[in-house]
Amino acid sequence: MQPLANITPLKPAGAIEVRNVGQIFKTTSQDVVALQDVSLDVKPGRFVVLVGPSGCGKSTLLMMMAGLRQQTSGTITISGAPILEPDPNRVGVVFQEASLFPWLTAEENVEFPLALRRVSKDERRAKAQDALKLVGLEGFGKRHPHELSGGMKQRVSIARGLVQDPPVLLMDEPFAALDEQTRMTMGDELLRIWAATGKTVVFVTHSLTEAVYLADEVIVMSPRPGRIVDHLQVSLPRPRTYEMLSGDAFGRMRDRIWQHIRKSA
Amino acid sequence: MTATTLRRLIVIGLIVLWEMLPRMGLIPELFLPSLSSTLIAGWSDAAEYGHALAVTLYEVAISMAFACGGGILLGAVVGSLPRPRILIMPMVSSLYAVPLVILYPVFTVWLGIGSESKIAFASIYGFLPTMLATAAGIQTIDPQLLLAARSMGATLSQRLVRVIIPAAIPTVLSGLRVGGALVIVGVVVSEMLISSAGIGYLISRYRTILDSPHVFAGVLLVLAMAIAFNAGIKWIERKAAIWQTGSRAGQRAADELTAGAIQPAT
Repeated sequence: MQPLANITPLKPAGAIEVRNVGQIFKTTSQDVVALQDVSLDVKPGRFVVLVGPSGCGKSTLLMMMAGLRQQTSGTITISGAPILEPDPNRVGVVFQEASLFPWLTAEENVEFPLALRRVSKDERRAKAQDALKLVGLEGFGKRHPHELSGGMKQRVSIARGLVQDPPVLLMDEPFAALDEQTRMTMGDELLRIWAATGKTVVFVTHSLTEAVYLADEVIVMSPRPGRIVDHLQVSLPRPRTYEMLSGDAFGRMRDRIWQHIRKSA
Repeated sequence: MTATTLRRLIVIGLIVLWEMLPRMGLIPELFLPSLSSTLIAGWSDAAEYGHALAVTLYEVAISMAFACGGGILLGAVVGSLPRPRILIMPMVSSLYAVPLVILYPVFTVWLGIGSESKIAFASIYGFLPTMLATAAGIQTIDPQLLLAARSMGATLSQRLVRVIIPAAIPTVLSGLRVGGALVIVGVVVSEMLISSAGIGYLISRYRTILDSPHVFAGVLLVLAMAIAFNAGIKWIERKAAIWQTGSRAGQRAADELTAGAIQPAT
């Protein structure tokens, strides 16, 4: 006989369910429909990328998954339970600007979410060291954000998102502010970290190349009212390599996304 | 030659000129008594100056507490809550343009010519820039930092203690520097106008009897007070910088306040 765990049929950790989610912004003159009837299933451990033109509500959707914003209608559940407020045990978030606290060292930044829960100093240190090691920043813990490059800051930010070991990592255009070379390297790094941790990743980006290169699945959204217009399975094998960028399969997928976005632009 | 040594040389040169020019008769002693006669005048009446300094320092200390404490407190409220901001900020901003010294005679009517009226005037005088800087410091906090803290599950009080306060420190310090300097100005000016004690009062009294060395001795004391205040602020800034280490916002704020932010004297 299995113990209690079998009685409540828990969704596997890391599954995301978005059901008929809508978002309406009320302004004084009119109501703007930012998202309309968005439904989406993300299986645990998948790498899903949201793309779409500016104002399609992809970041809004991500913020709702993070519990940082409430939807007007519909439900979002993560690991089987609805998301009503930020829950760092279920969801880690990485923002566009690394959003590190400039007065703390890299290490202290990574420890920050643990310090909020009054985790003991030793345990905090140990977990932060592990997270920094995972993102390839061993030995940089004592530096302050201004002493780190843009790519390193995002690594710290990823380490901070992973330090409580949540099953889901949400990333809002994390590499948008980086230069092209750093962006490519960080993409490979992220895939390495993802493969090593098995997290569910939802990643928002403007870059079609980045989307196809990173994703298992690409969700294409239309501008206001934001809706899902396409859902592609990226069939490229892993690990992804730089050579794939110039291949036919890559080009076809990139093209298919572009057709959607061009239509709506 | 580095900028620092050059700066020191300039100061030394000015001191030498101060001694030499009146001695050589190029400037009448009434306009500028030589440094040595100023020091002698001050020394021979050390007890009088010491007492005046104690009165002034007492007034400055109390006003500083009111101006900085109140300024930071109200600035934090106004900076973080939109409703009081809409109510108060326009009033404060227009009040800032009023030469507040016109209020001083009113304070002497209300509170007498003793220390109370000086403290009231200097407190209000230093309060405004401290409050405005604190409010600005809190309003200009990067909203992304607060969003990130919220995503990590920070409660409102955790956000205040761990994000808002450390992020606001550089701007608050720049406000303290301006506000504190204005407190000194406020105390000395009000002593010069209507009073019976303090350095400002001594300067003003010796001026009426054209005793320039004694006037300048008082001026030297005020100068020393301002320099000491400046050194104190720098020390606090260094302490904060260790805590705050290398925040660019902090550096910028520090640069801005050394570069400018000089306020009209009265």
